[in-house]
Amino acid sequence: MKIVVIGGTGLIGTKVVAHLRQQGHQVIAASPNTGINTITGEGLAEAMNETAVVVDLANSPSWEDQAVLNFFETSGRNILAAEINAGVKHHVALSIVGVDQMQNVGYMRAKKAQEDLIKKSGVPYTIVHSTQFLEFLGGLASQAADGNTVHISALQFQPIASDDVAAFVAEAALAAPINGIMEIAGPERSTLSNFLSRYLRDTKDPRQVEPNDNNQYYGGTIPNAALVPAGKAKLGAINYEKWLAGQLKKA
Amino acid sequence: MKKANLPGAEGAVPSKTALEQERKILLDLGNDLTRVRDKNDLIALFSKRLKSLYSITHAIIALIDHKDETYGAFLYDIENSPIKSHPGYKLLFGQRFTLNEPFIKSVLAADGPISFILEEVMDQPQSPAFLRVNYEGGIREILMTKLLNAEKPIGFINIYSDKAGRFTNEFRSIMNGIAPQLSSAVTNIIKNEELRNKEKEKSFLLEFSSDIATVRTKEELARSVRTAINKLNQKSGYVIRRINEDKTTMSPYVFDLGLKEHDQNIVNALQKASYPINDGLQNRVLESPIPLLFNVEREIQRGLTAPYLLNWQAMGFKNFLGIRLRNGETNLGLLFLDIEEINVPLLQGICSQISIALANIMANEQISKKQEEQAFLLNFSNDITQVRTKNDLQAAIVTVLDKTLHTKLAMIRVIDEDGFHMSPFMFDKTLFEKAKVDFEKMSANVITIEEKYTAQVLASEEGVVFNIEEELKSGNAYAQLWKTTGLRNSYGLPLRVGNKNIGTIWMQADRLSPLILRGICAQISIAIANILANEKLLAYKKQLEVENDYLKEQIKTIYNFSEIIGNADTMQKVYRLMSLVAESNTTVLVLGETGTGKELIARAIHNASPRRDKLMVKVNCAALPANLIESELFGHERGAFTGAIDRRLGKFELANQSTLFLDEIGELPLEAQSKLLRVIQERELERLGGKQTIKVDVRLIAATNRNLEEEVKAGRFRADLYYRLNVFPITLPPLRERADDIEPLIHFFVARYSKNTGRRIKKVTPKVIQQLRSYVFPGNVRELEHLIERSVLLATDGVLDEVYIPRETNAEKHEQAYALNRSLGQVERDYIIDVLKRCAGKISGSGGAAEILDIPGNTLHSKMKKLGITKADYFS
Repeated sequence: MKIVVIGGTGLIGTKVVAHLRQQGHQVIAASPNTGINTITGEGLAEAMNETAVVVDLANSPSWEDQAVLNFFETSGRNILAAEINAGVKHHVALSIVGVDQMQNVGYMRAKKAQEDLIKKSGVPYTIVHSTQFLEFLGGLASQAADGNTVHISALQFQPIASDDVAAFVAEAALAAPINGIMEIAGPERSTLSNFLSRYLRDTKDPRQVEPNDNNQYYGGTIPNAALVPAGKAKLGAINYEKWLAGQLKKA
Repeated sequence: MKKANLPGAEGAVPSKTALEQERKILLDLGNDLTRVRDKNDLIALFSKRLKSLYSITHAIIALIDHKDETYGAFLYDIENSPIKSHPGYKLLFGQRFTLNEPFIKSVLAADGPISFILEEVMDQPQSPAFLRVNYEGGIREILMTKLLNAEKPIGFINIYSDKAGRFTNEFRSIMNGIAPQLSSAVTNIIKNEELRNKEKEKSFLLEFSSDIATVRTKEELARSVRTAINKLNQKSGYVIRRINEDKTTMSPYVFDLGLKEHDQNIVNALQKASYPINDGLQNRVLESPIPLLFNVEREIQRGLTAPYLLNWQAMGFKNFLGIRLRNGETNLGLLFLDIEEINVPLLQGICSQISIALANIMANEQISKKQEEQAFLLNFSNDITQVRTKNDLQAAIVTVLDKTLHTKLAMIRVIDEDGFHMSPFMFDKTLFEKAKVDFEKMSANVITIEEKYTAQVLASEEGVVFNIEEELKSGNAYAQLWKTTGLRNSYGLPLRVGNKNIGTIWMQADRLSPLILRGICAQISIAIANILANEKLLAYKKQLEVENDYLKEQIKTIYNFSEIIGNADTMQKVYRLMSLVAESNTTVLVLGETGTGKELIARAIHNASPRRDKLMVKVNCAALPANLIESELFGHERGAFTGAIDRRLGKFELANQSTLFLDEIGELPLEAQSKLLRVIQERELERLGGKQTIKVDVRLIAATNRNLEEEVKAGRFRADLYYRLNVFPITLPPLRERADDIEPLIHFFVARYSKNTGRRIKKVTPKVIQQLRSYVFPGNVRELEHLIERSVLLATDGVLDEVYIPRETNAEKHEQAYALNRSLGQVERDYIIDVLKRCAGKISGSGGAAEILDIPGNTLHSKMKKLGITKADYFS
């Protein structure tokens, strides 16, 4: 089966491509670097030729609200148009748990726009809603740090390892389209501040976590449980300990 | 799997000369690589030099594609390959081989060149096909060296040998040494190729841009696009479709079906059609910012039924590309291109140029269309200024609408003077040929400004467009009629002069330019206003002329009539009758011999009546040709008969609320008598050729010098008419019966004519008066008047002393008046001759003259003898 992974050279993409190739599928890792640009359309139609499944893991190069929205809309539109023309039978996209509850955040609005495009495109689809990645912990600490103090809200948090995400996405790509949303999450649920405290401690980071009840996430106020799955989610196999061990080993 | 690995550097220590040799070879190879300009030269030069030194057969360079983790041949020298005759060999060059199998994985894992005995690896599961092909071509061993760029593998150099064991350590060392240079040479080639392609694209676009910049017309655009597409692909067909003015359909604008031969019928059908934009395909192209590649079969399977898709399928087109043409944020149309591969930046470059050209052409077309429209309006305006009549206007409007707008005038209605009703002003019957009956019926209806659709139109600023289909649904009675024209819309526009509504104009068309409509309506409004004013002016003018004529006549008459001269008893009786009847509306019949002043009496009656403020209208029934009498009396409509070029009011209508004086009524032909009778009875009439009944209030005064009773008896005058007229007869006495009035009349006429002619007559001699008194005046007062006029002119010294009384002539001798001037003997003689004539010369016996004369035959004989009556007298 020919599968095109848009954003196939990124964090999740590389892993998904590897998973799928391992199972003997012909996989195109699409990214501007490999000559497939979903914004300009370069190489897109050729890549889609004879393709059965498209996995869209593309991410915006810019984080500014309007730019993100433009990226996901344009990219989504172009990919779906090319898929329709090529007769692609399954579109898999990766999105975020709680995207509907966080529409005050620009990035979430953009992801929502992307999902809406998929839903009305007519292409059979599976949207994978993932919780935040364990890999984000370092970044989260840095963006919330004020000197040696990390001000972070005690939001519900159930981070998932990117390896698990890739495995679930690859699984979804090979399964039949569910024409709906599939939620995936990490195996442990706690608060964001707890996870960060553990992370800083385990990485011997001298900064201290100062939890608050502001329900802030990357500068936006969100419901306390927005970042964790509301219903039944598929849970990853890698918990924090295991993930951290892997990280430390790599380092 | 047995690998023939290079022994490590720590193996046998190479001799110094060997190192020298190796360095020299590396230097030479390096020099070769730097000299290379063309990518094929690289491998040719490289393998040639290697071949000259080592026992190898050929070499190729393969490149990795990280996108799908495959590799394939990149640089090769087929001509010098020893296995070029192998049937599978050439196929290898298009193939991609996966990196995900043990053979190539071991190459990637190796630190340097690694060799394989083909026989050992080629049949391993997943081993690439080229191993076996080479083996079958006589190759026995392969040396694979990976090429790295920035630590990442970018490809391999594969070196083949037809004998195993030829790849010496020295050779491996050379390959190991040259690999980095080769890598950078390959990288350079790729980069150069990219650059060259970009350069080519740019110069292509530049060329196309300068070419298309000159494009002014559709044909030039077609040529320019054709040239550009030819440069990309020799045979591609294309079509540029443009969004039509209705914004819901697209039609082919320019197209070229490429080199293929096609059924002309299909081509014609494609060319003429217009396709709804939202057909499931065109809309996808218009909504997509990037070019889209379509597969004809797949789109049809998807259920699309756009006719062009089916045609394309029939014409053998498989894949095609769709890209929108857009100027700024506005979609102008799209380009469909029969092409399999997409060079996005190039296509977008081409399309943006085409879009600009298209926008320019469209702007040009719009400008020239505007100019045409304006020129057209100017011409129309010129035509209109020359229009003076409704017919001219109709001709001008019909020409304009038909020739230029391809539409037809349905109806112009003009608001009547009451400001409420709207009468049809003009219409084009041909438009509603299919529904003639309906239209006649509907157009005849007089509608008001409050009629639903009219009110809407009059209230609108620039008219109302009625979609005929929609109006049908809403139950518009007119829509049924409109439908018969087969056109899409009905345009109702107000006709205005300044701010004043003067009417409405209705047209049927599919689409009309608002500019033209506004222009035309303004012109037509003015023209209609002018015509209406003109018509009114003409009517006033005519009325004034007629009034002027009558006034002149009246002045003359009043002057004539200052007094009816005469105090004779017979005249007193006439005056009494006149005063009795004048006040009423009773029909008066004035009888009297010629010249007794019947018209004078009629005018006097009119002037004494309540109708005196209006002019009395006079018709001389004897003066009109029989065939014109009716039209004269009752008027006629335009076209009622040959020569009736205009509507004309009859005397009856002119005399409405006044008096109609029918002189010489006895001369009226029988046919006209019956019509006259009807008018008198009904007090209403119809114009000749007209359908409308017109009520009239006319007082009739008829006059004749004939004895109508006798005329009735003789069948020349209708009895019923006679009784209708003879309600109040006034008989005027002949002048000879009022001899006393002769003298006053003489003085009256002498005074008038001496004044008129400038001859002062001081005196009329008694002799003249005596002479005139003794004359019988068969012509009555008129004769007297003329005698005086003549005598005044002939008078020499201010004294009227002679009158020229006419001599008796043979022709006149039977006149009663003359008889009175003769002696008894003469009278007797004439009378006997008359009777003899009547009796055909028979003198006596039954039916003889003597019997009629009631005298004995002998007496008659003797009288004849005495009076000298001979046969010659009564047989003449």
